[in-house]
Amino acid sequence: MKVIKSVLKEELANSLAMKRNYESQLARLPKGSLVKKKIKGHEYYYLVVREKGEVRFVYKGKQPGDKEIQKYKQAKEYRAKYRKLLSEVKKQIKFLESALRGKEPV
Amino acid sequence: MPCVEKSQYDLCVEVLRRLDRAGVLKNVVLVGSWCTLFYKDFFGRTKYMVSLKTRDMDLLIPQPSAIKEKTDVAELLKDLGFVVGFTGSEGYVRLEHPLIIIEFLVPERGRDSDKPYPLSQLGLNAQPLRFLDFLVQNTITTKVGATTVTLPHPANFALHKLLVLTRRPSPEKQIKDKEAAMRVLTALIDKGQDNLITDVFYTIPRRWQTKVKKQLTDLTDKKILDVLSAHKPTTTTAGQ
Repeated sequence: MKVIKSVLKEELANSLAMKRNYESQLARLPKGSLVKKKIKGHEYYYLVVREKGEVRFVYKGKQPGDKEIQKYKQAKEYRAKYRKLLSEVKKQIKFLESALRGKEPV
Repeated sequence: MPCVEKSQYDLCVEVLRRLDRAGVLKNVVLVGSWCTLFYKDFFGRTKYMVSLKTRDMDLLIPQPSAIKEKTDVAELLKDLGFVVGFTGSEGYVRLEHPLIIIEFLVPERGRDSDKPYPLSQLGLNAQPLRFLDFLVQNTITTKVGATTVTLPHPANFALHKLLVLTRRPSPEKQIKDKEAAMRVLTALIDKGQDNLITDVFYTIPRRWQTKVKKQLTDLTDKKILDVLSAHKPTTTTAGQ
């Protein structure tokens, strides 16, 4: 039993470290999402960001450049991926904590 | 593949496939508790129970200087969701995913040092550890998905576990490692390869032999101890 408990403890420590790591990776990603708006037949790019609970559109020009478009596209993909994995890690933590707690009171 | 969550196994297959395609895997020997899972194929019909294992997948690079091509391994696995993490006060790099944590090891030569060994060609560093050369002395290969992976021969794996047992920090880890070693050794005996255990045992220095035997003090270890003591080494070498 002690062996199983030590493995679970090790895995819990790993999951806690991983949670911090995913959170910091998420914080490092460029904020916002690049959107294309069509106004009077012309296309304009805006960066949509949420600041203090409000959605803001920041004008980025008619053609921001492939590199910038790619940057935000990739950030969007990684954000979705990291959030999914972070939620998985949180579930693991919850499970491991409850397994280690056993019959002890919450 | 039994004894492991499907998604975890699938991720493992994909990681190994990518490392193989990037030309990294040919310089790698998979060591650690994941071996016990892949030994299932080696033992075939012989009764063998996989030991308790963690998510840590240890990749040993026996000859770091042999890696000539530059590969950013973290970038290679990034889109699978792996993030770079650091462990210990020394800052050993590991690639973390909720299902698998990849760590890199190199054999420690010369003076004791906790310093990470830089693997600049892979954009990583590795933890140097003692006695790892013994693990690559005899290796086997197995298929993981469509990828061929090199593993230490089970005899080397098990004897190495016993050899480093006292270096393990916690008593629980010692119990876990010993159990893994005993399961592998018992399966080797059941497979009729007890001579092979003896052969490997006699390739190690006498001081190491004593260390291994010292770990076999329980009544249940007698079978293994008999194998190590009764046979004289044959001329054959351990292999597949």
